[in-house]
Formats: sequence, C-alpha cells, structure tokens
Amino acid sequence: MKSTLKLASLPIAALLAGTLSAQANDEISFLCYQDGTECDVIAQMLPAFTAATGHTVAMDIVGYDIIRDQLENQLQSGAAPDVARVTNLGGLNPYYLDLTPYVDTAFWEENYGATLAWMRAAGGTDQGIYGWPTQLTVTGPYVNVSMFEDAGVDMPGDGATWLDWADALTQVRDTLGLTAGLAMDRTAHRVAGPAFSFGAQFFDDAGQPIFVDDGFRSFAETFVEWHRTGLMPAEGWPAGSGTQYRNAAPLFLSGEVAMLMSGSWMINNFATNITDFDWRAVPAPCGPGGCGAMPGGAAIVAFNSTDKPEAAAAFIDFLAQTEQAASFASQTLNIPAHQGLQASGVDYGDASPEVSAALRVFAQNAVTAAQTTPQAYTFQGYAKNFVIYGVVPDYLTRAITGEMTLDEALAAMDADIAAQIAE
Amino acid sequence: MLDALQNAFGNSGWPYAFLVYLAIGWAITRPTGPLFGRFMSMLGWPLEMAQRLAGSTGLPYLFLLPNMLIFGLFTFAPFFINMGFSVTEGQSINFESRDWAGADNLRRLLSETSIDTGMANQEDDKFLSAVASTFVFVIFQVPIMVFFALCTALALNRKIVGRGFWRSVFFYPVMLSPVVVGFLWTLILKRQGVLSLTLLDWGWIDEPVQWLTDPFWTMFWSIFVYTWAHLGFYMLILLAGLQAIPKDLYEAARMDGTSEFRMLRRITLPLLMPTMLVVFVLALIKAFQAFEELYAMNVRWTSLVAYIFETSGLRGQPTANGLGIAATASLLVALVLVVLSLIQIWLSGREARR
Repeated sequence: MKSTLKLASLPIAALLAGTLSAQANDEISFLCYQDGTECDVIAQMLPAFTAATGHTVAMDIVGYDIIRDQLENQLQSGAAPDVARVTNLGGLNPYYLDLTPYVDTAFWEENYGATLAWMRAAGGTDQGIYGWPTQLTVTGPYVNVSMFEDAGVDMPGDGATWLDWADALTQVRDTLGLTAGLAMDRTAHRVAGPAFSFGAQFFDDAGQPIFVDDGFRSFAETFVEWHRTGLMPAEGWPAGSGTQYRNAAPLFLSGEVAMLMSGSWMINNFATNITDFDWRAVPAPCGPGGCGAMPGGAAIVAFNSTDKPEAAAAFIDFLAQTEQAASFASQTLNIPAHQGLQASGVDYGDASPEVSAALRVFAQNAVTAAQTTPQAYTFQGYAKNFVIYGVVPDYLTRAITGEMTLDEALAAMDADIAAQIAE
Repeated sequence: MLDALQNAFGNSGWPYAFLVYLAIGWAITRPTGPLFGRFMSMLGWPLEMAQRLAGSTGLPYLFLLPNMLIFGLFTFAPFFINMGFSVTEGQSINFESRDWAGADNLRRLLSETSIDTGMANQEDDKFLSAVASTFVFVIFQVPIMVFFALCTALALNRKIVGRGFWRSVFFYPVMLSPVVVGFLWTLILKRQGVLSLTLLDWGWIDEPVQWLTDPFWTMFWSIFVYTWAHLGFYMLILLAGLQAIPKDLYEAARMDGTSEFRMLRRITLPLLMPTMLVVFVLALIKAFQAFEELYAMNVRWTSLVAYIFETSGLRGQPTANGLGIAATASLLVALVLVVLSLIQIWLSGREARR
C-alpha cells in the first residue's frame, strides 16, 4: 500500500515541482507606449529584473492611440496584457490589480504617496497601490528662441500673461511670415492650464464639475479669437473633428510655429530631434486666475485579469525602487514622481543646458500651479477627466470653425459633459 | 500477405485506416454494378449515408450548413450583439455588466432633453447633423459618380488606342487601400500640400487654401476623392453591361443611318438601364457607409458611420451610454440600407419580369 502511495505521489510531486518552477519563471506581457525613449530605457532594465526574480517580460511597444483608444476594450473583453503603461490613471481603476499584498507599502507611501491617489477610486476610501507613476508631467509651453531672435522680438519674462505672449507671438509670426505663432495639442488637457490662468475653476466648492464658468468663457473667447486672427494654425484644432486627439509637436519641430503648448514629456524628444534651432521651455503664462499648468503623468499598472499577479507586481515593484526610478528619470529626462528623488535631485548626467533648464522650468510650473491654481490637481485626480478631454475640443472646434456661436458651443459643452459623466 | 502490405506501406498507419474506411463503406453500402461504381460507392459512403438520412431535398442544406454556420457567426452574431447593445446601457462591452435600458438609448439619441440630466440633449443634434451631412454627400456623390462611371465605360467600350491600359488606369484606385487613398490625397490637399503650392506658384491663389478644413471645400474634396476611389468598380460593371448589348442592334441602326447620339439614347441607355439600376443602388448603399477614406483624410464633417464610430467610444474614452447610443444609431442606418436593398431587389425583379 505504502509503495503504491509512494508511486502515486511521484507524478504529483513532479507536477507540483513543475508548477512551482513555472511560478518562479513566469513571463508577463507588457504593453508600453513612449513619448521619447521610455520603453527603450525600461527594456534595458529587463535583464536585471529577470536576474533578480527569474521572471521574464514580453514587451510590446505601441503608439499612444492604442493605449488611449483600445486598451479599455481589451480589458473588458479579457484580452488585456498583464501590465501596461497608461495615462488614464483614475478611469481605469476598476481594472487595476491592487499591489498592496505584494509590495512594501511603507516604501511606496513614503515615495509615491502624492501621486498614488490619482489611480485610486473616487470617494477617498480606496487605499490601494495600483501602479508605478513613471514620471510627473506638467504642461507648459516651448518656445523657438531662434525665431524670436530672427524677428527681433523680446521674449516675455517670468510672470508674463498669455496676452503678453500672444502679442509677442503675433509680432514674430508677422515678421517672419510664419504659418502661425502658437500651436497646441488638440485635447482639453492642454487647454486646461491656460483656462486656469484665465480663472476657470472646473469644480465648485462641493467638488462637483462645473466646466463652463466666467473664467472658462473668457479663455474660450480668447482661444477662438486666436484662431480667427491666425495666431493659432488651422492645421491644429480646426483640422480635427469630434474627440480626436491631434499632436501639434510636428508643427513646432518643422519650424512652422514659434510656440508649442505641450508638456514636460516632450523634453527628451525635442533634445533628440531639434537640431536646427534653439528652443527653450518657458514658465506657464499667467492670467487673472494664476499661472495654470496641468500636472499629470503616466503609470505602469498591472490588471486584475492577469494570471501572474506576483510576477506582474514584482515587475512594477522592481521599477519603482529608487535605483531604477532614478535611472529612468535620468535617461528619459523626466521629472521623477518618486518624492525622495524629487527632494535629493536627479543626476541628469550630460544633459544639455536646454534640457536642464527645461526640467527646472517644468518642475517650477508644477509648484506654481499647486499654489495658484490648485484646481489643476483636483482635475488630474478626477476619475472622468478623460471624458472631458474629448468633449471640450469637439465644441471649441465648432466655435472656431463657425459651425456654432461660442455661446451655443459653451452651452452644448456644459450639457454634453453632464450627460457623458452621468452614471 | 500482411507482411507484404506492411513492406509496401512502410510503417505508416494511414493505409490501414484507409482500408478500414473502405471496409466500412462496403459493409454499409453493399455496392453492386461495375467495379468502378462499386469503388466510388465505398469511397463516398459518408455522403450516401447523409443522403439517406437527409433525403434528396435535405442534402443541399447539409452542404450549405458549414457556410451558413460561418456566415451566421460573422454576420448575424455581430448584428444580434449590436441589437443587444442598443437595448442595454453601461460602459462595458460585456452584457453581464450592462443594465436593461429598453428604449432609453433611442430617447438619448433623438429626444430634445437629456433623460439623464434634464438638460438640453446634444446627441440628437450631433446625430441629425451627421444625417444631414451624409445626405448632402450621398445626393451629390452618387449621381456624379454614376455619371462619370457611365461616361468612362462608354469611352472605354469603344475601340480606342491602349484600351486595356486605360481600363487599368481607371480601375487602379479601386485596388488601393482606403487608408492609402486618404493619406495620398491628404498630401495633396493639406495646407502646404501639392495643390495649394502649385496654385500659389501659378499665382491663382494668394495664400494656401484649407481644402480639408473649409466647410465647402472639405465636402467637395470628400465627394471628389470618394468618386475617384470607387469609380473604377462601377465603371467595370457598366462596361460588362455595355458588352452584353447585342452588336446586331447597332449594325441594324447604322444600316438605317441612325446617328451615334440617337443610338446612345435609343439603344444603349435603355438596354443598360437594369445594370444602371444595380450600379445606382449599390453606389447609394456604399455612399451611406462612407467612412475609411474620409477618416484617413480627416475631413471636417461627420458622416453617419463616423458618428457611430465616435460615439461608441472606439476612439477616445468610452462614455456611460455611448455604446448603446451608437448601436441604436447603427440600427437606424441599417434600416435605411435595408429599405434601399429592398428597392433594388424589387426594381431588379420588375426588370426581370418584363
């Protein structure tokens, strides 16, 4: 009998050993997008992760559109990767794997406490840890310095308003015969900062979204006017339709505009690709409402549909450690979300003066925005902000192209946002 | 004997399986008659069995079954899923996470006041605007394309030099991917594109024209590009229709001294009318579904399909009720297409009965 049991236990033991060894060497799928070299830098870290844990990572680098437009459907249909780099931090919360059981929560809270809340469910009771904020991004403008010099126009200094910049950019455009002076990515995320500067609040005292107020109306009037006068290009916002996102960086890279309203995530891209003119990041322009800039960032998250939660959590925890976070920030020229690194500073190595200056400017933008337009941080933590990002361009564009009056567009925008965010 | 067979077939198992198959066939069919016929009966015993079971009238349906299953899976299943979306609400694409909504999505699509917020509803404006724009597109694009397809077919039906080459030239755009067509024309039509720069060089315009942004020009170029991309297909159908007209009719007319124009009016067009009808209805259905080229070109108006695509959340962020509203809109469009198809079937039948 005993020998029979022994014999029977052999294959079971072998099976268990196989299962255990499989658990120790899981392969996780990772969907990654990059603005510059973020995924490439993470790819260089993978051998160290495998050496440390035995797990491997199958990384798939895709365009941002895939993450923005397709990932949620993949999650709903059970075809999602184990891990992905996302920007809709609050909106994807129902699909996140809570990493709390797998990581040192004290370390995470100490170093990422300020940004972890952006990934949590609304209501304030959720204390889960859902992903590694790869960087802290801040919106702000980039300027083609060479154009200002060629045009003989003085660049507005610190504390300049959007109207000061509009005047200067109009002079540059007229002098050099440019297509336009100012370009901006077609998403409400980019107009949010300027709108805050004009006094838009976005939320009432009770924390409920109130999109169109006097400040936003004032900004919208100016924004439409900038298009009417040709300060902003027809290839930008008016060329898009519906909720479509349009990247305006190519207009800046090709020297068609003198200013681009974008964000800190483009520093590495510009440092690599701009070779024929001098560029500079300038402080977020101000207005009656403050000097508005939108904070934000991307995060690497694991999904609760994964069948390898330990490996997925181990991967994210590995990347979040101070050594990897410092290396990532240094190589991708990003502002780290790691608070310890923010305090101690990141060694950006042989970064060019433009890059170092740009990083300082954007870091200061984040601080100024927190002081003068705190609603920016509320908006970033709002779980349905991505819905608003799409609705606003739709109606603002119609006002720009004359399909609607601005009053009609703003009324429609208010009503549509209310309908879209209604449960 | 067995060794000989084994040597002949080597160590492969399939010859034995085949022999067993034939043996079963012999046992079931008990064939009689010539040797070849008997062999074929043994070989085709599954079909004979199927025929015995299904009867001679049922056998065609048995053959159609695999096709119907695949057709049903990829055609009817999405249709029923779409119907499911239209009567449920929620952001998820999983039915288990969607609540029953009845006709709420229809109200969200068409009512003046939002049933969710009590504020002015925007979806009806967006939907009706897409309907109006699509009608404008269809009303101009279809007749223009059918007219030019007819002219081209008439020209290429004549004995002209390089006829094969010209037929290829006009058919070539049909083979291009819609996305390629869109990007190709975007290069031509964008602000700094070939067209604006050429016209600037010639001094015909003072500054680049926003061909794809200006409300008039964006519709004009949508119609132009869509016609350019699809004309070849309809030209080919009309060409086949032209070649089916008996030549002796033309010979008889020429002997009577009939002019070319009169032959066109009295022989060609009347006899081509059934084909024209098919082309017209097909073009109409296709124009209602216009999307890919227009999407790739980033035109400034929203077609019905683009509205459905946008509202469903396939681009951008899915919204609370977007999928249900888009599914309802798509069913309304499908209804229009069904009516058009029925008209085509009725007209074709009427022509055939004559």
